[in-house]
Amino acid sequence: MKPPPFDYHCPETLDEALALLAEHGEAAKVLAGGQSLVPMLNLRAVHPEVLIDINRLPGLDHVRIEDGELRIGALARHRAVLESPAVREASPLMAAAYPYVSHGPIRNRGTLCGNLCHNDPASEMPAVALASDAEMMLQSASGARTVGAEEFFTGTLSTAAGADELLVEVRVPQAPAGQGAAFHEVSPRKGDFAYVAVGAVVSLSGGACSGARIVCAGVGDGPHRARAAEDALEGAAPGEGAFRQAAAAAADSIDPGEDFHADADYRRDLVRSLTRRALADAASRCH
Amino acid sequence: MYVGQAILRREDERFLRGRGHYVEDITLDEPIAHAAFVRSPHAHAAVTRVDTARAVGMPGVLAVLTGADWTAAGYGEAEGVWPVKDMSGADARTVNRPFICTDGVVRCVGEIVAMVVAEDRHQAQDAAEAIAVDYEEKPANTITARALDPDTPLVHPAHGTNEVLVTEHGLKEETEAALARAHHVTEVVVPTNRVTAASIEPRCYMGHHDTVNDRYTVWTTNQAPHIVRRYFTKSLGIPEHKLRVIAPDVGGGFGMKLYHYPEEPLVLWGAIVSRRPVRWVGTRSECLLGDTHARDHHTVGRMAFDEEGRILGVKFETLGAFGAYESQWNASITNAYHFTMLSLAYDIPAIHTTVRGVYTNATPVDAYRGAGRPETIYQVERLIENGAHEMGIDPLELRARNLIPAEKFPYQTAIGIIYDSGDPPALMEKARALCDYDALRAEQAALRAEGRWMGIGMVAFFDMAGAGPVKMMNDLGAKIGCYDVASVRVHPDGRITVFAGSHSHGQGHETTWSQIAADRLGCDIDHIDLVEGDTDRVPMGIGTWGSRSLSTAGMAVYTAADRVVAKAKRMAAHMLECAAEDLDLADGEFTVKGTDRKLSFAEVANASYHSGDRPADLEIGLEETSFFDPADCTYPSAVHVCVVLVDPETCAVTLRDYWAVDDVGTVINPMVLHGQVHGGLVQGIGQALMEECAYDPESGQYLAGTFMDYAIPHAEDVPSFGLDSHFTRALGNPLGAKGAGESGTIGAPGCVANGVIDALWHLGVRQITQPMTPKKIWRAIEDAGRAQQ
Repeated sequence: MKPPPFDYHCPETLDEALALLAEHGEAAKVLAGGQSLVPMLNLRAVHPEVLIDINRLPGLDHVRIEDGELRIGALARHRAVLESPAVREASPLMAAAYPYVSHGPIRNRGTLCGNLCHNDPASEMPAVALASDAEMMLQSASGARTVGAEEFFTGTLSTAAGADELLVEVRVPQAPAGQGAAFHEVSPRKGDFAYVAVGAVVSLSGGACSGARIVCAGVGDGPHRARAAEDALEGAAPGEGAFRQAAAAAADSIDPGEDFHADADYRRDLVRSLTRRALADAASRCH
Repeated sequence: MYVGQAILRREDERFLRGRGHYVEDITLDEPIAHAAFVRSPHAHAAVTRVDTARAVGMPGVLAVLTGADWTAAGYGEAEGVWPVKDMSGADARTVNRPFICTDGVVRCVGEIVAMVVAEDRHQAQDAAEAIAVDYEEKPANTITARALDPDTPLVHPAHGTNEVLVTEHGLKEETEAALARAHHVTEVVVPTNRVTAASIEPRCYMGHHDTVNDRYTVWTTNQAPHIVRRYFTKSLGIPEHKLRVIAPDVGGGFGMKLYHYPEEPLVLWGAIVSRRPVRWVGTRSECLLGDTHARDHHTVGRMAFDEEGRILGVKFETLGAFGAYESQWNASITNAYHFTMLSLAYDIPAIHTTVRGVYTNATPVDAYRGAGRPETIYQVERLIENGAHEMGIDPLELRARNLIPAEKFPYQTAIGIIYDSGDPPALMEKARALCDYDALRAEQAALRAEGRWMGIGMVAFFDMAGAGPVKMMNDLGAKIGCYDVASVRVHPDGRITVFAGSHSHGQGHETTWSQIAADRLGCDIDHIDLVEGDTDRVPMGIGTWGSRSLSTAGMAVYTAADRVVAKAKRMAAHMLECAAEDLDLADGEFTVKGTDRKLSFAEVANASYHSGDRPADLEIGLEETSFFDPADCTYPSAVHVCVVLVDPETCAVTLRDYWAVDDVGTVINPMVLHGQVHGGLVQGIGQALMEECAYDPESGQYLAGTFMDYAIPHAEDVPSFGLDSHFTRALGNPLGAKGAGESGTIGAPGCVANGVIDALWHLGVRQITQPMTPKKIWRAIEDAGRAQQ
């Protein structure tokens, strides 16, 4: 199987890339790591008229901490992010989730920003971005804007990025000192798309849970934040009882779909058990 | 001696360095054109219009061909290799897999409707997309269990039924009587999931017509090139002497690459029409859909036990999937391999089975590593496992009570097959020690007390390997002679080329056949080259399948080498002025016993070709061919034990340990044997835990068209295997060797299944359909919990 015909552009500068995006808009697809786009092309599931290959754009492969934020550029490969000390320092949740992101050869090429723009509902990183209040730095020929994760992920394989915009960087606020994080997932094989994944962060203040974030993937049309479960945990003493209560609230908060891999009842039960585990692990990592 | 040594595989250097030479790597003087196919998107539909007008004029297009063109050209139909009579004596209601749709109806997703030949792959694919096909959808059924229900749509309405054939085997009255008088009867409904081989190298074919000499060449990813040549006489009507079939390096076959697939004659047809060599390289999606699928049996089994847990009888009723058509060898699965092996490693006095082959609107099913035996072992072992739990007898103890004792060999099973040699109790004792069985049971109890679920699975079985002898396989339905062939050619310089009718696509024949030949010829293994996979170079061959190559082609190498030595000894005796019986051959030298008079093998070889001083009745040359028809099949046996952990919350399965104790007779190369067992186990574990060629039950759409949807195990999904062996000699061949290619695959599905059930028995779970994915385990526990409330 081979891709349908398309025109190919390989801009050397960001301005050139944004001009091409402005010109072609909906007819164009941005090619970064190509780990989702190229298979979709080869399956002829998408038929873009134009591919804009951004791999030659300079200065976009950074993974660094700056102004209290973890900043990851459009061309930072999964592998670079996974191995970055900056990620472990600034975002324990992202660090905990990354081992579940796909398989080695795909991580060598795929990019975090491309992963976020693809927004597969079973994907881990949109959930991490949502839990972390990440900000998406979008640029177009007519200017730049910042969109929070809450608004960015708009549904299955869809985001708030305009057809003329490029996600040039994602910014993740540095996790508060002492916060614990954990991520759990069940998938057919390690690295496969998740049946369900759950990430949690929690802080302990005066012996009580505070500021918990609980996010799920694989349960609907995009990353899901279990606010009721977070609320249930606020001010509660950490422990099996509180975690189970929050886990039940998380399971109640989803309306998962059914597919070949998993039915709704199983997914709901997975959210319950993985939330409990993630909270217990996250709490044990608070310091 | 080379036999018995774990010498490194001689072929691995080129494979590991990326220098293997596959069909896609072949270059020719003429530019090679490419084929693309239009395939049915429907499980069942009338084809009302095929409009090729747009495609014909597209860039690079050389030919556009449809079923109407095939019919107009007067080409033929496929032919089954293993046609079986119905038990009524009538021919089975066989409809062979069409090469291209010629009758206006497509009966499974993926059936070929049209072909485009173009200068390159992209142009061919673009033009194929431009062919407009109108379909009128018809009701479809892809589920084997439903095939014979009264309201199920008929795949071939002309037959008035979806039943291809029905056969019964075994002792019906004795089995019914055993069930009637039993202390305990266990019943299990066991569907065996539909899987596919998923070889690393996709199927790939290239055809070429030499119009100057009026000869044809086909390069093919196939396990039996001479058999391919035979079936081109049926498809394109090409006489065997006009066609050269070459199967170069092939990246995995597993039985799946044994058949004369539609694309194979179509590319040669495309080459004839376009007057260009034409190649097709299957995409992964085309292969997951169009490669033959496997297993897909639906079985109801009942087993009768006495008070001590001794098996009195076993009765099976099976629906065996054909898919939409007879692929070529399907009937061999249900009618040569499934029923014959129903006794496994157990002394069962009464066995009866009824098998109904059925059509569904799904990809044709054919033999895949084990063919019939994975189903059989899984089904029988599920009954034994449940029987042991129901009767409160330790599962290993119950099995041990039923094993065929060593002194009963040769052992005739109640189904009629005779196992020539074996010692199942010895295998079981080794397995018990290897896994430290009592400690495992103690650990299981301790974990269960903590709310953690561990299960111990096991199986004990025989395999029927080494297809031959010719007469026996003919009697079981084979239309081809199941012997094999080798020529040993000694060159005048004493170096040797071995030509064998087998085909190595991972098995390592360049190493193992050379080990056998070097021992017989008393020469250095590096003085031997092997040629396989070319019908113009190898005299004849039946190919590599069914764990048969060692006991057929390997023995032909052995026999031909012995004939070479006999002839060379006559020449050497003449030269040394002694009797042939007085000569020893070792280390490349003929020595007169008890003297220092000697001649090198090379000197004798040279004289054989170039000396006029020779015995009057000794023909010039030093080359011998053996057509070897073995005296019997071989019957390898094994005991497997595994440990599985099931997460009580997520129901994810971890296969923690796996042990296999094998009896494969004489071992040629222990490292190659272990490789076979490892690979086989992983394929069987995949069947048990994750692999499934799934169809949407309503639409008949295929759901497993990529490796995102069809999961095969990764290295981290399987444990490090613990292997041991206990050898008894095979009686049907001079080396005493038994086939080793399938043992792992056929044992693992039952072993892993029993492990999962053992882990969950206390929760009330009695059976889970494979693959045992977390979703199904979770549901089974939920259902069992509700049932117990």
